[in-house]
Amino acid sequence: MSSILSVQNLNKSFGNKHVLHDVSFDLTKGHIVGLVGPNGAGKSTLMKTMLGLFNYDSGSIEVAGEKVTPQKHESLSKVGALIEYPGIYPFLTGWDHLQLFADGDHQLIHIQKIIQQLNMDSFIKRKAKGYSLGMKQKLGIALALVNFPELVILDEPMNGLDPEATKELRDLIISESQRGTTFLISSHILSELQRLAQDLLIIDEGRIVQQTTMHDLLASQGKQTIMLMTNDDKKARQLLKKAKFTTTPDPRVEVVAKSDDTLPQVLRLLVEGGVDILDVTRLEGNLESSLLEVLKQSRIKKKLAAEQAE
Amino acid sequence: MWTLVRQESFKLTRRVSTWISTGCLVGIEVLFAFLSRIYPQTFVPANMFESLYFSRPIINFYMIAAAATIITMEFQYGTMKQVLYRRYSRGQILVSKWIAIFLYTLYWYVMSTGIALLMKALLFRHTLSIHQGAGDGMSIFTRGLAISAASFVSLWLLLSMVFLLANLFRNSAAAVSVGIIGYFASNIVTQLLTILIQKWDWAKWNPVTMTLYPSMLARPGYYQPLLRMQGWQMLLGNVVYIAIFLWIGYYVFNKRNV
Ligand SMILES: Nc1ncnc2c1ncn2[C@@H]1O[C@H](COP(=O)(O)OP(=O)(O)OP(=O)(O)O)[C@@H](O)[C@H]1O
Ligand SMILES: [Mg+2]
Repeated sequence: MSSILSVQNLNKSFGNKHVLHDVSFDLTKGHIVGLVGPNGAGKSTLMKTMLGLFNYDSGSIEVAGEKVTPQKHESLSKVGALIEYPGIYPFLTGWDHLQLFADGDHQLIHIQKIIQQLNMDSFIKRKAKGYSLGMKQKLGIALALVNFPELVILDEPMNGLDPEATKELRDLIISESQRGTTFLISSHILSELQRLAQDLLIIDEGRIVQQTTMHDLLASQGKQTIMLMTNDDKKARQLLKKAKFTTTPDPRVEVVAKSDDTLPQVLRLLVEGGVDILDVTRLEGNLESSLLEVLKQSRIKKKLAAEQAE
Repeated sequence: MWTLVRQESFKLTRRVSTWISTGCLVGIEVLFAFLSRIYPQTFVPANMFESLYFSRPIINFYMIAAAATIITMEFQYGTMKQVLYRRYSRGQILVSKWIAIFLYTLYWYVMSTGIALLMKALLFRHTLSIHQGAGDGMSIFTRGLAISAASFVSLWLLLSMVFLLANLFRNSAAAVSVGIIGYFASNIVTQLLTILIQKWDWAKWNPVTMTLYPSMLARPGYYQPLLRMQGWQMLLGNVVYIAIFLWIGYYVFNKRNV
């Protein structure tokens, strides 16, 4: 019951193209959940289906325990969303937009609050046809948040935002989540997502490949890489190879750290071999490499399963 | 529901085109009123008043465009998803658009009638009486109202079709052209239509015949025998077709992926 959004065995096709395969997951209240996967994986389709924009073949979608269908979806009053790109009427001002989509109690207070939080005062009273890409994006985010809903669904929210606006948005998302708002955010800007999301849904070719927490994913793929800058990279590589250290195909000299004493061993080897070390950096496990690894593994598994089935 | 209707009306009032077209219509009525004053032989004052100084066809064009764009604009600006993923059902969204357009049609008719009365009072105070007879025991005022009511109904026949097409194609150009063609079609094919109707009586029940309803009232005794239709039959036919087209549009809208 604590789940604000529950999706069970959702299947969705466009004609005979099966886009979502048995998608099931629950969102925990108050968490920021990242939805990640390659282009065409089905992220936007999943979000649109959850919002009653698409018909689906089978399965169920529940928001706060109430079913959502394209025809009927009263529970969406608890949801705010921005999908793909913001829809904006060029002949209305930003303020008009917020007024149009504000709902429920305290509308005026909510509108003023969101304008202030996203720093939109300077342009909110202007007609939207003169907005820049980032202004439109901000307005779209403001429209998703203006009712301070319990669940917020954002598809590529950082699109076109400058660093300052990105930070404002990040702060806003974090502060709202601390007050109990649940966020489902899809993004290809993984560094940003890594700073935000607690949970992760990894989707590929319309299937949920893994539902995990950010911490677990980073830890599981937590191999550390040591990056070296030397006065003779070629020689360094040769020495490392001879001593059977694992290097990466990267053009820079990178060694995979198997244990805590890998670094001292490498340093000793190189110094004794007459190579000067100019700089050493440890690369922490990051979301990008972890995600690529998960996707690679799942594709290999899928291929094996397909071959076995033959 | 009323919140939604208010929102749709708000969007209409914020569009510059609404006010420009209002200005144009007023201009046209004033222009024809003056012409009628200056050249009463060519522009017979009583007939001109009855035709609301030529405003009905203009209203028809505006409304065809308005009905098409109230749907297609949401697709064009990408706002349809935002409009839909709220607590309101799809049916409510569509019906609120119908009601907004209905009110908008009323706005045009009330305004053009008001301007016509004003022009009459200003330019034809002594030369024209709105109570002067116009045949069939009607005055020019009541006949004007009757024609307005009939053209309102048959305009809605076109609009129900435009709504359906706007929904199917998401493209206002397609919907508007079909609406305007539909508007002219009735006058162009009248001859063909009467030949068909003389041959097969049931052919009179096609939707194009129904759009001749206001013409029938404007020329009493002329269309009845040609079309073999009574006034009430025309009204009924219009209402039935409007209901059918609106219902198909409703069905399509509820089913579609946005
Ligand atoms: N309206 C549609 N009609 C037909 N196929 C569609 C439609 N929308 C999406 N698809 C298909 O569904 C699949 C998933 O698309 P979707 O937009 O959900 O991907 P995504 O994960 O959001 O990708 P991206 O990261 O590029 O935004 C794609 O193969 C796409 O071609
Ligand atoms: Mg997408």
